[in-house]
Amino acid sequence: MAALLATRALSRHFGGLRAVDGVDLELGEGEILGVIGPNGAGKTTLFSLIAGSLRPTSGEVFLSGWPISGRPAHRVVRAGVVRTHQIVRPFPNLTVAENVTVGAIHGSPRAPGSPRERAAEIVSFVGLSERAGELPGTLTLAGRKRLELARALATAPRVLMLDEVVAGVNPSEAMTLAGLIRRIRDERGVSIVMIEHVMPAVMSLSDRVVVLDHGKKIAEGTPAEVSREPAVIEAYLGKDHG
Amino acid sequence: MTGPAARKAGRWPELLPLRGTLAFVLVVALLAVAPAVLDFGVYTRNIVTLAFLMISGALAWNWMGGFVGQVSFGHAAMFGVGGFVAARLMLSDPPAPPPIAWLIGGLAAGLFSFGAHPMLRLRGPYFSIATIGLGEAARLIFTYWEGFTGGASGLSLPIDVHMKRRLYLWSLGLAAAVVAASFLIRRSRIGIQLLAIKADVDAAADVGVNATLHQDVIFALSGAVVGVTGGLYASYFSFIEPGDMFGFDRSIAFVLMAVIGGVGTVLGPVLGALVFVLLRQFLLASYPQLYLGLYGILLVLIILFEPLGLTGLSLRLLRWLRRRRAEPRASPA
Repeated sequence: MAALLATRALSRHFGGLRAVDGVDLELGEGEILGVIGPNGAGKTTLFSLIAGSLRPTSGEVFLSGWPISGRPAHRVVRAGVVRTHQIVRPFPNLTVAENVTVGAIHGSPRAPGSPRERAAEIVSFVGLSERAGELPGTLTLAGRKRLELARALATAPRVLMLDEVVAGVNPSEAMTLAGLIRRIRDERGVSIVMIEHVMPAVMSLSDRVVVLDHGKKIAEGTPAEVSREPAVIEAYLGKDHG
Repeated sequence: MTGPAARKAGRWPELLPLRGTLAFVLVVALLAVAPAVLDFGVYTRNIVTLAFLMISGALAWNWMGGFVGQVSFGHAAMFGVGGFVAARLMLSDPPAPPPIAWLIGGLAAGLFSFGAHPMLRLRGPYFSIATIGLGEAARLIFTYWEGFTGGASGLSLPIDVHMKRRLYLWSLGLAAAVVAASFLIRRSRIGIQLLAIKADVDAAADVGVNATLHQDVIFALSGAVVGVTGGLYASYFSFIEPGDMFGFDRSIAFVLMAVIGGVGTVLGPVLGALVFVLLRQFLLASYPQLYLGLYGILLVLIILFEPLGLTGLSLRLLRWLRRRRAEPRASPA
């Protein structure tokens, strides 16, 4: 069976820096794939390449076997791949409901109902119904992260790419957000790629984990396998010189 | 001035769209019969017609400058292109009927706006500076293209007295259509995407908004409407001249009207255009030396203290009144 989302030797160089260097990635239907690695490993750049906000230097991205690399971001969204941002970027001049509606407009070919109705359903799915008429500036960081999730989810994606959704909120909120991510996969059937620094979250949610370091994939496997991998321990903790 | 007050009420967000629509239709109907009922003199009719045209221009400017947040200092280019194409068509042999000439003028201005496509990669102040270049380039080309524009001496247009009277209604019709269109754009899924582009163009693209297409279409529509406005303007004064049509102060006027009234709102540019036309008339007659200086001061004050202009001021006043009404009820208890 062909993977839902796949990258082949995907690379992006900034001058002499190989931010992403020949990465092969596969995401199965209904899978949650964790992407981890030290700061500067190229995780977010990898997302930008898949989402179309950056053009790859070389390599390709496939969705259900069809090449989507080189397309502009808005067309990648229409194909069914959407990302969130590590630093949330709500539209401050639109209400919570309107923010989500912007995403819902472009999911309409894949999902039934008017954008406004679907937006309302998704706003309630992420638990923001009571704040629907308010501006994003009135939400807490955790609230804005839910909004970021909802707006991406409204595009009715087949693949949702989450860039550190759990990081930066308090432990109980982190638990709730992790639960929400699981529900997105279980109840809505969306396959997920997630970058995450919060290890308990990524290790418990992911079916498989890919580890990046200096733009290269250094390990891949189940969370348990990966955390035993010497190369991973070395990348995170450094070499044992003792 | 009962008309603008009622129209203002029609745009108020708290009102039901049904009530707003009825009020709007009523105002347009009243304005349509006003010249006959109130027996407008030429001076009054000139001012009111000019106000209708400036309302159309300011609102169309606001589609790009307010909704998308791309402030253009070059809309005089489209105003002039629309005006001159319409003028040439009316002067051709056989002459085109004025409404056809205005329409084609608008289409030409809309096409001309598409020429700005490469500029749409720029955002904020960089876009604004590029539009100054667009406006000035158009002004120079049309001033020296004497065969087409008649150069600095301009062209006289064959508009008789009857047509001039009818132009009041044409201008009212244009203004009413542009008010309605602005409201519909603002409320539609296009409007919401324009506001998303204004807030964060990359984040908008990341949820599927085609920012380039939206900006192209809105800039062309905005240019086309401003072009039609230019055609009606030149026809009403039965004379057209590059300096007047393409002047930099013409471009500034569109910005000023929207900023005075409230950028990005529908009501704002309407109010702004009214204030602009009346103030300009008064200042030119009484204090011509202060005319531009006063606009400068007004602009600084608005941007510093009330970025939403008159609309923001009215909203603030409304909140204050509501608080005052609520207080006496609360205190005895």
